[in-house]
Amino acid sequence: MEFITKKPPIVGNSQRTYKRSINLHFALLIVAIAAVILKAYTKVPETVTYTALDQSFKVFLMLAVGAFTSVVIELFYSLSEGSTKKFDSYKGFVDPINTGLIIALLLPTITPIYVLILAVIVGVYAGKLVFGGYGYYIFNPALVGVLFANLSFGSQLTVTNTPLMLLKRALGGETISFTNMTDLFVGNYDALAIGTTSVILLCVIFIYLLITRVIDIRTSGTFLLTVLIMSFGVGFINFYVEGNMSGVFDYVVINMITGFTLFAAVFLVSESVSSPTSRETKMIYAVVIATLMMLVRVLGSQPEGVVFAILFGNMITPFINRTVKRSDNKTLLKTSLILLFTVLFISISLGFILQSELIDIFASIGGALL
Amino acid sequence: MITEYRTFLNPKKVYIPLTDIDSKIANVSVEEGDRVLVGQIVAYKFKGKDKTPVLSTVSGTVVGFVEKLDRYAKIVDHIIIENDLLMETIELTNYKDKLAVSQDRNFIHNVTTYSENISTAQVRTALKGLGIQKVTVDGLFTDIKFKGQTEHIVVNAIFTNEPFISTDYEAIIHNAEAIADGICLLGIGAGAKTLTVIVDKYMPAEALDELGKAIVDKNIELISINVKIIKSWDYKIIQKLVKHNLSLNLLDDGVLYTSVHAALMVHDAIRKGIPVTSRQVAITGDGLKVNAVYDVRIGTLFSDLVEDLEGYHEVENMNLHIGSFLTGIQLDNDDFAITQSVDSINVSEYREVEEDVCIKCGDCNDICPAGILPQNIMDAELRSVNSRIVELDTHLCVECGLCTYVCPSKINVLEWVRRAKRRVG
Repeated sequence: MEFITKKPPIVGNSQRTYKRSINLHFALLIVAIAAVILKAYTKVPETVTYTALDQSFKVFLMLAVGAFTSVVIELFYSLSEGSTKKFDSYKGFVDPINTGLIIALLLPTITPIYVLILAVIVGVYAGKLVFGGYGYYIFNPALVGVLFANLSFGSQLTVTNTPLMLLKRALGGETISFTNMTDLFVGNYDALAIGTTSVILLCVIFIYLLITRVIDIRTSGTFLLTVLIMSFGVGFINFYVEGNMSGVFDYVVINMITGFTLFAAVFLVSESVSSPTSRETKMIYAVVIATLMMLVRVLGSQPEGVVFAILFGNMITPFINRTVKRSDNKTLLKTSLILLFTVLFISISLGFILQSELIDIFASIGGALL
Repeated sequence: MITEYRTFLNPKKVYIPLTDIDSKIANVSVEEGDRVLVGQIVAYKFKGKDKTPVLSTVSGTVVGFVEKLDRYAKIVDHIIIENDLLMETIELTNYKDKLAVSQDRNFIHNVTTYSENISTAQVRTALKGLGIQKVTVDGLFTDIKFKGQTEHIVVNAIFTNEPFISTDYEAIIHNAEAIADGICLLGIGAGAKTLTVIVDKYMPAEALDELGKAIVDKNIELISINVKIIKSWDYKIIQKLVKHNLSLNLLDDGVLYTSVHAALMVHDAIRKGIPVTSRQVAITGDGLKVNAVYDVRIGTLFSDLVEDLEGYHEVENMNLHIGSFLTGIQLDNDDFAITQSVDSINVSEYREVEEDVCIKCGDCNDICPAGILPQNIMDAELRSVNSRIVELDTHLCVECGLCTYVCPSKINVLEWVRRAKRRVG
C-alpha cells in the first residue's frame, strides 16, 4: 500500500485566511448598507435642490461603482497575467470588493464619480497589483486611493462644518457647543466620509471582528487608547475650567467618535498585510499612527490626519519590524512602559504647544534648574 | 474514534530494526539459523561509544536479515525472527523477588507494595541492559538516558492526536500504581530533585482518581492543563522548572521528559525484569475500517495489523502518520515494523489544504513558546539575509510545530525556520 507524504491532516485549527477576508467582507457590506440607509435620514440644507433620497442613491452608486471598478481592474490584471483561475469562486472576488468598498466609504457624498473611479484605479493598481496583489503590498491600497483623491481633487471633496472642523475652530478660540450627541452616535450627519459616521454600528462591528480574529486588539486597542489619552491630555490643558470637566469630555468624545478614528480602528489600522507582525511591534505601530493623527488634528491644516498617519506607519513597518528581536514577556512589559510614557509626554507637550506656552514652560524649568 | 481494544501478541515473524535514528552502526551477535529466546541480545547498536542492546521479543529461529523501511522513513537492516510461539525467556534478573515473572502486563494492577531499596546504579544498569532508551521520540520528548545532571523528571499522561481524537486512558486506569512506581524509579535513576506528571484538565475522573491515588505520598507533583487551548503547555512547564530557554534536546537542560508508557516500561523492566516485548499502540483514522488500541508484540509488521483490522477503506489518497501530528513522521509505505517508540499510527484520507499567501497576521509569533519570531525568520530566509536570521535567535527554536499549526494560511512555517537554521548552521 502506497501513501502520500505531505503535510499532516490537521483540522483542529479552523482559522483560514479566506475566512477572515469573508468576515471583513460581511462587516464592510453591513457598513455600506447602513451608510445608504443613514443618508436617507440625514437632513439636507434647505437651500439646495436635491433631497435626502437623492443623497442616499448617490451613496449607493458610489459604493457599487467602487466595488465594480476594483473587481474589473483585478480581472483585467489577471487576464494580462494569463490566469483567471482565482476568480472561479466568490472567494476571489472578496478582496477586490473589500478594497473598492473601503475607498468608497472613505470619500464624502459630494465626490464626483470620475474621482472615485480614478481613486480606485490608483489604489488597486498602483497600491496593490504592482506589488503582486493580496498579501504582498506594502501600503494599504485603499488609503493610497483615498490619499490620491484627497490630494488631486481636494477642492471637489470639501465638506464644511463637520464636527472635527468645529473642534478645530474651538481650539482656535471660538465657542462652539455640541448639543446633539444622539446624532453623533447614530451617525446621520454630514461628514468627511460616508462610512465613518455611525458610532454604534462601528462598535458592534469592532467587537465582531475582534471575536472572529480579523483584527488584532493589540493594534486597534492601542490605537484607540492612545487617541483617548492624547485627546484627554490636550483637552485637559486647553478646556479645563475650574471644577468643570464638561469641555474636556466633549473634546475627548468628539475626537473618539467622529472623523476616521473608529473606522480606522476597525478597518484600517489592523490591516494585517501592511502592518508589523509581533505583538510589541503592533503596539509601536499603533502608537505611531495615533500620535501622527493627533498631531495633524491639533496642529495641521487638514481636519483629518489618519490617512497620512497610516500610510506613514506602513512606510516605516519594515523598520518597526527590525526593532524587536524577541517576543517574550519582558520585552512586552518594557515596550508597553516606554510607549505609555511616550504617549503621556507627547499629549502634555501637544497641549502646551497649542497654547504657545511650551517655550515658557521650558524656560521656567531651565530657570528653576539653573 | 477508538472503538475496540485488541491484542496481537503472536505474529509469525518479527522484524527488529538493528539501528535507529541516532545509533547508525550495529554489531550483530547471532547468526542465521540460531535459536533465540525472549530478551536475548541479538545485536548491539552504537552511537559513538554509547552501546545499546537490541533484544529479541519472541523466541524462535533467526531466519535472516533484510533491508527495510523503518518507522523513521529510513532504509535500515532488520533481523527476522520466526516465532515458535513458545515464548521461552532467558533467565531474568529483577529487583523484586516475591513477584513471579509474568508475561501479561495487564495483571500488574494486583501488585500493591514495592520495595524501594534500589540504587541509582541498579536502575541505570537494568534500563541499559534491557534496551529501554528510545520510547518517546516526538517533539520535546527525550530519550530515557541519564546524561550528566538530570534534575527534573517530567512525565506526560496525555494522549491526544488529531483529527480523530484518539485518547486512551485505559492504560492509566489499569496500571496507575505501576506508572507511579516507574516515575519514582526514573527519579532514582536520575537522582532527580523534582518529579512532575502533566495531566489533562478534562481527563476521565476515573483515570485521574487512580493516578492521584497512586502518586500520593510519592512526592510527585501533578500539573493539569487544558488541552483544548492549543498552547505550548509542556514547554512552559519545563521552562518554569529550569528557569531559562530550553535547548533542542532537553537532556542538555537536565530534564528527562517522557510519557507514561515509558514509565510503565521502566517499571516492568526493573520490578519484573522483563524487557520491552510488547507495547500499546493506538491505531486510528478514517482510512481504516476498525480503529483500535492494540497491545502489540514489538517487531510486528504494520501491514499484519492492518490485515487484522480488516484492511483499508477504498480511498484514493491516504496519509500514514506516526506519532504526533505536529512533530511526527509520515511514511509512504505500510511495510514497516512496530518498535518501542511507536505510540500511535494514523491512517486517514489526505485532505488537500491550499496554501495561501502569508498575510502577516503574526499568529505564529504569538504562539511560539521560545519567544522567537517565526514569521520574521521566514521573511529573512526568503530574502536570504543571514545576519538577520542570526539576529532573530533562530537557534532557540525547538521545532514544536505550533507555528505551522496556527497558521491561517496553512504555510509550513516550521519548514522555513528549519531551513533558516540549516543556513546559518
